[in-house]
Amino acid sequence: MAMKKLVGQVTPEERSEIQTLFERRNGLNELAKILTAENADLYEKLVKDMGDTGSKFQGWWDRMAEKYQWESSENGNWEINFDTCEIYLVTA
Amino acid sequence: MLQYLIILLDETSTSFCHYENANQERKLMPLDVLKEGVRFGMMENLMIQFVYPDYELPQAYQEVVESIDHSKIKPYGQEDADVLIVNGFQKVKADVPVVLRITKQELFVHQEEIAVMLGDVPRLNVVLTDVEAFAEADFETYKKVLAGLSSEVEKLYVDGKSPQLNLLTDRMMLSQMNNCGAGDTSITLAPNGKFYVCPAFYYENEADSIGDLEHGLGIKNKQLYKLEYAPICRHCDAWQCKRCVWLNCKTTLEVNTPSHEQCVVAHLERNASRELLRSIRQHGTFLPEREEIKEIDYLDPFDKRDTWQ
Amino acid sequence: MNSHELLLLYNSFVHLIMSGLKGLQGEWHEEASKNITFIVTKDCQLACKYCYLVGKNTKERMSWKTAKQAVDYILSCEKDMTEDSVIFDFIGGEPFLEISLIDRICDYLKMRMYELNHHWFNSYRFSFTTNGLNYDSPKVQQFIAKNDHHLSIVITIDGNKLKHNLNRIYKKDGKGSYDDVVKNIPLWLEQFPEFGTKVTISSADIPYIKESVLHLFGLGIHEVNINVVFENVWKEGDDKRFEEQLMQLADAIIDGGFYEDYVCSFYSENIGKPLDLVLENQNWCGAGMMLSIDALGNFYPCTRFAAYSLRSKKPIIIGNVRDGIDKNKLRPFLTLDRTTQSRQECIDCEVASGCAWCQGENYDAADTNTIYQRATAICKMHKARVRANNYYWNKLYRKLELEGMREEFEKSKPKSNDVIC
Repeated sequence: MAMKKLVGQVTPEERSEIQTLFERRNGLNELAKILTAENADLYEKLVKDMGDTGSKFQGWWDRMAEKYQWESSENGNWEINFDTCEIYLVTA
Repeated sequence: MLQYLIILLDETSTSFCHYENANQERKLMPLDVLKEGVRFGMMENLMIQFVYPDYELPQAYQEVVESIDHSKIKPYGQEDADVLIVNGFQKVKADVPVVLRITKQELFVHQEEIAVMLGDVPRLNVVLTDVEAFAEADFETYKKVLAGLSSEVEKLYVDGKSPQLNLLTDRMMLSQMNNCGAGDTSITLAPNGKFYVCPAFYYENEADSIGDLEHGLGIKNKQLYKLEYAPICRHCDAWQCKRCVWLNCKTTLEVNTPSHEQCVVAHLERNASRELLRSIRQHGTFLPEREEIKEIDYLDPFDKRDTWQ
Repeated sequence: MNSHELLLLYNSFVHLIMSGLKGLQGEWHEEASKNITFIVTKDCQLACKYCYLVGKNTKERMSWKTAKQAVDYILSCEKDMTEDSVIFDFIGGEPFLEISLIDRICDYLKMRMYELNHHWFNSYRFSFTTNGLNYDSPKVQQFIAKNDHHLSIVITIDGNKLKHNLNRIYKKDGKGSYDDVVKNIPLWLEQFPEFGTKVTISSADIPYIKESVLHLFGLGIHEVNINVVFENVWKEGDDKRFEEQLMQLADAIIDGGFYEDYVCSFYSENIGKPLDLVLENQNWCGAGMMLSIDALGNFYPCTRFAAYSLRSKKPIIIGNVRDGIDKNKLRPFLTLDRTTQSRQECIDCEVASGCAWCQGENYDAADTNTIYQRATAICKMHKARVRANNYYWNKLYRKLELEGMREEFEKSKPKSNDVIC
């Protein structure tokens, strides 16, 4: 059973940044399901965008982890609660 | 509080406001209806305004009219009027107030002639019959036209005259809202013996009555004709605005809500009045009891709704 | 690389898990959202007795051409529609009867929002309230799989079998629909465990309220949002019967410990207080800030102003897909406040907060063609709710205090939404 531990909190502005990226990631994901290479221009744009968004997404976690020095674990992931801005460490 | 009763003496009674009366067929209000209407006015303590057609009334009608204190609204060219109505642009001279019903285009084209008319009538009420059709470019033109008329009014004041042009001089003289008041301070009795909010509602839809002489008045949701129940207007200081409830209804579907066009037109007039007042005061003391009209950064109060409390 | 490979690559890159994103029932940008409703059909398999849609029919189905025109127009209005987020709502009749059209509209929306770099691409939802009858159909399930991060789906179930079948009956034979809906609840809860259901209460439903809510909890639905209908259907004594049901339900929820994980929207700490004339003068209903489009391509300030929703008034059409929105027709909606439309009795009411209204019903019931006359048919029902609500919170907090659990409950109590239409 997964364990969930509160390890920190980000600011509402920081939360909004990652929430937007999260939403965009999901949007790109679902757009990818319907877009084919036949629509070359849009497909190109999508591929590039997925890469960029992924980098920004990862960059956010790296920056925040560095800033807040959250507790971590080898088998764990961090989670954010968008409502409360709280960060949890979830371990398997 | 109800103060005025407008009586349309005939189906072809002249329009004196924004609405059109397209009726061609003469049909006088039945004499007994007129008598009852006058009686109603007396009992309710109302000032009666008779609106005339373009032909002379029979003697019996004239006698009833004269049986009560009243004012007469007549088409231009008729004698013995308190207010004369001119439909479409034409140059007129008169010794009573004149209502000039014209389109925006007529105003734009005849601006200079209208300025001249200010010296020939004691008061000129310009009623634009197509306010709802103003587009962005028209607002710009209107602003310029008002500025041009304003210069002429200023000159007349400097010459010691006191011209009255509703679009420019009313706002200077006012200290609170002075709107049409249809449904609140005035009602209309139509030739069919029924009451209407104003003549426009009668001509648009005869079924839209608010009572009759037999059963009396029954204005439903009458509070909506009052300023306090008009969210945009109660935050507004374009006090000269007609706040035409018929145009409101036509454009926004609510009697208490003006259209964007009506608001902008009224604010262009308000702002032109502000400039006129400042200009006249540069020549000497003028209306010392009136405060300056404030500078504002909007033309439509609706755009400032987030700041209302 | 095909789309599937692209996704795999992308998902493996983004490895950190995130949660806390509830659907529309929760905290998803609701306040900053534009709500755009496509009335895709006016047909439904059911003929619910309380349904406010008086003009349902099988003929008015939205065409792809109209839907596309609507999308093109809406997305061209980014300057005027500045809300951070958007909820594209699909309603009927029963929206899933038109799942193929909806699928096409959603694909087009996604594609065009992305192509246009529209800010809504970063924050959109597709929302459905369905009778649930064809929830398990392959087409609906394929649609869900394709859009699963952007969906809010509410299945309407009115409670236990008796209560549900009292109103929610088939059009063709008058048979109750409970069994056909309830079979789809487990699949729905598996896919959207955090979503709630919506229950509508009319006069005849009052005796079944307690049993129904507990039944829905028993089905695994954690959030039950209920409202009484705004129409003037209430009979003498209904308020007392309603109050009694809510008191019994309060006892059952508290004594049974349901309050820890379950929510019934009847009980809210924010209702039953006087409202400030100035600071709490906002309109309750969002009509005018929303936009509805029907099969003819006409725009309405809310679906309740379309002809099929109105008993006695003409529809209020504020534009169409060809000419766009007539902004003048929106002005009354966007300047409407609480006190201007309320009677003095409502303005002075000591328990005013939480007393809802529907602008469409106000218009439909008004003495003139105005949205500025508040209908008050639910007045006694609201007051009954307030009394039972006071009882609920007093009893619950006393229990929690005696158990030393109040502070913990305050921190983690489940939230409910006020649902009005």
